[in-house]
Amino acid sequence: MQDRLKIRCPKLGGEVSLDYCLQEGGDLPCSRIIVCWQARLPVERLLRERLSPEQWDRCFNRPPKDKVVSLVELVEAAKERLQAGEE
Amino acid sequence: MDQVKVNLEDREIPRQWYNIQADLPTPMKPPLHPGTGKPIRPQDLAPVFPMNLIEQEVSTERWIDIPSEILEKYLLWRPTPLYRARNFEKLLDAPVRIYYKNEGVSPPGSHKPNTAVAQAYYNKVFGIERLSTETGAGQWGSALSMACQMFGLKCRVFMVRVSFEQKPYRRLMMSAWGAECLPSPSDRTAAGRKILAENPDSPGSLGIAISEAIEDVVGDEKARYSLGSVLNYVILHQSIIGLEAHKQMEKIGEYPDVVMGCAGGGSNFAGIAVPFVRDKIYGKEVRIVAAEPTSCPTLTKGPFAYDFGDTAMTTPLLPMYTLGHDFLPLPIHAGGLRYHGMAPIVSHLVKEGLVEARALDQIEAFSSGVQWARSEGFIPAPETNHVIAAVVQEAKRAKEEGKERVILFNWSGHGIIDLAAYDAFLSNRLTPYELPDEEIQRALKTLEGLPKP
Repeated sequence: MQDRLKIRCPKLGGEVSLDYCLQEGGDLPCSRIIVCWQARLPVERLLRERLSPEQWDRCFNRPPKDKVVSLVELVEAAKERLQAGEE
Repeated sequence: MDQVKVNLEDREIPRQWYNIQADLPTPMKPPLHPGTGKPIRPQDLAPVFPMNLIEQEVSTERWIDIPSEILEKYLLWRPTPLYRARNFEKLLDAPVRIYYKNEGVSPPGSHKPNTAVAQAYYNKVFGIERLSTETGAGQWGSALSMACQMFGLKCRVFMVRVSFEQKPYRRLMMSAWGAECLPSPSDRTAAGRKILAENPDSPGSLGIAISEAIEDVVGDEKARYSLGSVLNYVILHQSIIGLEAHKQMEKIGEYPDVVMGCAGGGSNFAGIAVPFVRDKIYGKEVRIVAAEPTSCPTLTKGPFAYDFGDTAMTTPLLPMYTLGHDFLPLPIHAGGLRYHGMAPIVSHLVKEGLVEARALDQIEAFSSGVQWARSEGFIPAPETNHVIAAVVQEAKRAKEEGKERVILFNWSGHGIIDLAAYDAFLSNRLTPYELPDEEIQRALKTLEGLPKP
């Protein structure tokens, strides 16, 4: 029965549990969670009850960022973390 | 005796990569810096990539010479054979001739080393001593580990913890090639330590692993980050697949009606497709199809799965085909093709109408993959199964329409190290079903137990 709460993740290329999908985005679920799970359980309804409109928007309605843009953001974030560690 | 393989001699290997950016009808817009709003400059990327690769990223030169040091390494497994899938054709009993490029013959078993070797080389000549990267299932991590070893570079791979624990053979491959493979989140970076402090049992994610790999190189002059998909220069390096296929098809007097590839990040698809997209731009009649994975059972659930309810998806709708007898087009959002950073070039080609997008359910994909293994022998990687399923659909269409078709696709890798996925499929753990109420209730409890986002 436990296996029924697992699914093959197209991003990772392996089986993951529902818990994983719910936390994949850090403070948000994976943006693919509805596509992946809706056929098995009403995850859209569950998340609508649970997420604020702002969180819902952040998770599902924003177009994906250009990869180069997100890399530049990650570089800036890494620099900040390293700087904070030195202080 | 019918010919099955079309080989190129070593001396026939392409000496240049092809850059589709030179032929795009509409040029791609440069990405904008999130801070300044102005186009991102080469120096913005310099902390993570060497300048010679950044130059390739922005290049609009049509042909770029492949350095002889890279060709020497490519020759260990390239040119890869072009096969005619005669047994699969018989099984499908449709008026199609199916050709596939076998990228599973590389040492790590996939197309990934085409760019891994190139990236390792360019970093080496730039004076870099160590590369860092992230990996999910481990295909990319193992390809980069091998490439770094070939050019005497150190390699560190942050592997998403849930995969690290599930896929011991991939991480052992990385170790065999001399790389350091760490489960992510790790205690090696501030990003990883923060996550572990909050949740010591964190399974990780690709996002966390990328943050760790980037942090690992920022500030280290002798280290750089390496990415195996999405970027323009990755597509450039992968173009060797399609360039070889083009020559091989020419050798036997064939030209494809349809060119297909599976599209996760887009690199293997673009690799086989771009030389044919160029033909299409200049008037040749050829269809180019990108098959992306979805977990939704299209056969049993119909279009709702792609409808996103009322979630205000604003991306354009594209037609897709089901396995039904009438091949009714179902709506699928083009945005789906970019779900975790699809290569901008591929998204652009879809937008320009040069490439069709098609979504394939994983059950349909695995069924096709097993049919393939039982007829052609080679066991495909789970991702490759998606394009095989798309080929099956195409063959069924040809049969329905009574039209002959020549299909070319990229067999992007073998599945020998992913047999656990076949186990899940063959033991019916991937079966598409609705959960019964009691399990939904249990899932609900799981949800309630989690910290509210």
